[in-house]
Amino acid sequence: MGMPGRTDDHRWSQRHLSHYVEGDLRPRARRRLDRHARGCVDCGRGIRAMRALVYAVRGLGGPAGVRAPETIFDRVRSGGPGGAPSSSRA
Amino acid sequence: MAPEGRPAPDPREHAPDPSDTEASLLAQAQAGDVGAFERLSGAYADRVFMLALRLLGDRTEAEDVTQEVMLRAWQGITRFRGQSSYFTWLYRIAVNEANRALQRRSRRPPGVALGADELQLPASAALDPSRQAENSELRRALGQALAELPPPLRTALVLRDVEGLSTQEAAEIAGIGQAAFKSRLHQARLRVRAALGDQALITAGG
Repeated sequence: MGMPGRTDDHRWSQRHLSHYVEGDLRPRARRRLDRHARGCVDCGRGIRAMRALVYAVRGLGGPAGVRAPETIFDRVRSGGPGGAPSSSRA
Repeated sequence: MAPEGRPAPDPREHAPDPSDTEASLLAQAQAGDVGAFERLSGAYADRVFMLALRLLGDRTEAEDVTQEVMLRAWQGITRFRGQSSYFTWLYRIAVNEANRALQRRSRRPPGVALGADELQLPASAALDPSRQAENSELRRALGQALAELPPPLRTALVLRDVEGLSTQEAAEIAGIGQAAFKSRLHQARLRVRAALGDQALITAGG
């Protein structure tokens, strides 16, 4: 069986960009992607985009000071259907 | 003021150990003390509500789900055996309830986007107006892309990347193995990347 060609490497690299950024690739696979990305503009950009995506998503947060509504225990307090712990109802 | 030559008392010396407090509250709650249950779960209420908001993108639904989470946790508290942290257990209930809400919603017309108010990128006063506009645009696009993910992929992305939980804890909350969780996470990232486009991400990332 021959070595994977450039097209194989490219498709494989594109599928594994998230694994690469996450640090989930084994050393051999990481070297394969590194080697390919050095000569591939698309994959080099893909790595930068994936890193930017993870950074942006990690920055997603609710507005500062968002609090749970005071009503969250209303069903617990009202008993709800079978509202008490199962053992205490026994 | 502390007498000269003696260090001021350390207020932490008399602070209760948080784990002891949680264990104590848990024991009381399992004995049927609803007040203890509210103190125990109330410590995580804001996070549970935010998780529901992130998964559902709708404040009213998130409030409804959070109420249901608390009811189910109360009903099941005696079955909690401490095999995970209480937080993990509560979060798992929250993910399950949010997914049930999403299933109910799937019977209605799709396209409910996560609101920009619910999902915000960190604001930076250092950004010039054009960069702030780009961030705002990216925030909207991210919210839309997240909303369009299938619930299992959205859950993975929210737990790992938005909430910042470890893969192990996030997988436990999602109720799947770590390998399956990573697969979902990577799929989710690829889809969001494809939806936003590399150039927009790189530009916004500076």
